[in-house]
Amino acid sequence: MFTSNKLSTPIAEFNGVSFKYATGPEVLKDIQLTLNPGSFYFMTGESGAGKTSLLSLLYLNNMPTRGRIRLFGYALDTLNREAKAQIRRQIGVVFQDYRLLDHLNAFDNVALPLRIAGTREQDIKKHVRELLAWVGLEKQLTKFPHELSGGEKQRVAIARAVINRPRLLLADEPTGNVDDAMAKRLIYLFLELNKLGTTTVIATHNHNLIKHFGFPRLHLSHGKIEPVEKNTSNKG
Amino acid sequence: MKKRADIPFSSDSSKFFIPWLSMFMVFIATLILSVAIVVYSSVQSWTDNISGSLTVQIPTYTEKGESREEKIATDIEMALTLLRSSDGITGASLLTDEQVSALMEPWIGQSDSMMELPLPKIIDVNVDSKNFPNITQLKADLYEQVPEAVLDSHRAALDELVLFFENMVNLIAFILILILITTAISVIYVTKSSLSVHEKVIELIHMMGASDFYITIQFAMRSFKLTLIGSLVGFILALPIMALFNYFLSQMNGSFVLESQLGILQWVLLASVPFLTAILSFLTAYKTVSKALKQIL
Repeated sequence: MFTSNKLSTPIAEFNGVSFKYATGPEVLKDIQLTLNPGSFYFMTGESGAGKTSLLSLLYLNNMPTRGRIRLFGYALDTLNREAKAQIRRQIGVVFQDYRLLDHLNAFDNVALPLRIAGTREQDIKKHVRELLAWVGLEKQLTKFPHELSGGEKQRVAIARAVINRPRLLLADEPTGNVDDAMAKRLIYLFLELNKLGTTTVIATHNHNLIKHFGFPRLHLSHGKIEPVEKNTSNKG
Repeated sequence: MKKRADIPFSSDSSKFFIPWLSMFMVFIATLILSVAIVVYSSVQSWTDNISGSLTVQIPTYTEKGESREEKIATDIEMALTLLRSSDGITGASLLTDEQVSALMEPWIGQSDSMMELPLPKIIDVNVDSKNFPNITQLKADLYEQVPEAVLDSHRAALDELVLFFENMVNLIAFILILILITTAISVIYVTKSSLSVHEKVIELIHMMGASDFYITIQFAMRSFKLTLIGSLVGFILALPIMALFNYFLSQMNGSFVLESQLGILQWVLLASVPFLTAILSFLTAYKTVSKALKQIL
């Protein structure tokens, strides 16, 4: 199992990382970044600044065209396919468009990461029911995505991302399709998990949330991380 | 709560194509394999029977049509004495006229007038298969004693026929290989099509940490089940045709009758066709998906 045995080992380290899609221009340029265990970041930037690309590197959907990434202490370019799969199981991802599987109901969608990890079916039943109750969907277990509202789908997607207690949680605009009140409720869900030690990175445009919670920001501009003034208020 | 498959296979066309394809392929494969088995067994049986015997013909009439009645008894006696004393021969006996008629029946048919035909006298010679006689020497010795006698080595007479059937079995084996290759290629294309249909789902579960094995085994098992269902139907549909074939064989009379009854091992071989096809489909799908997944990070 690919788990770092040092609590102090950074969750992610980017060393001179650049990235481009096929023959296009570089969308990320010379990124230097360290995410420490238990940290909570908002990732901000204009559309096209490279937020989604940076997240895709973090959940191993892409590999850098230059530079080196270490996740949980392991250099990704040295890992084989099975090792990468094990690393991915320690990362939870919430997509802006949810990416729920239409043919699976809420229960099975949330159970998917556990089944992939080979968890026993009786444990899956227990954990999934508990988590769906925690996000307020205990009565929607058998509902399919097309039967759920936008907010409910978002909570199912979040439950799926956190069901196996990931060490790194990535969320791409998780509050993009919900109102401010729901957005805050969702961030509080992430905070609960963060308190248990999960490093969290949330890409968002929602300045109200950023101001409200006051966590450090990773601001991307034209493919580079730019320093930002530290938030003064932290209501998290 | 019933667990559902991660990949929504029910929405793609493989659930129709693979069973139909495998049904036709196994139907044809079972039939031609049963023909191959029957022919092969028969050839083996003929070869085994024939390799242990020779015959000597002593004509009852000269080439000009004159009767050799007064000489025939002496010729038979001399030939029998020579044969029985020759190295590698375990026995020699004269066939009765009824036995000779019975041998000719498949070619000439049953007729009361057969006894009036100028059929030769035939001596059936049993040879020691471990100490096979020198046929050339035996022919020379026989010619010296009974110049009119003709020694027939059945093996030589049947060699061309056996070669024909052996070639037929080889041709059938080639057709079987073609059927397997066609099935494998079809499974490759159906699997690739299925991979394309479910690309988004595969990407998602891959991103969640699904190993290549986790994904490939789902495709391979799916392919295995669909092929097995189709193959078993194809095999069952072939059985009545085989029974009909068997019936026609059992109605045939003659020296070169094909073996109409299949043994247990032969039935096991035939029954293994659907399972072997399903295993081939499993392995093909597994390999195809494994290769495709290598394109993903």
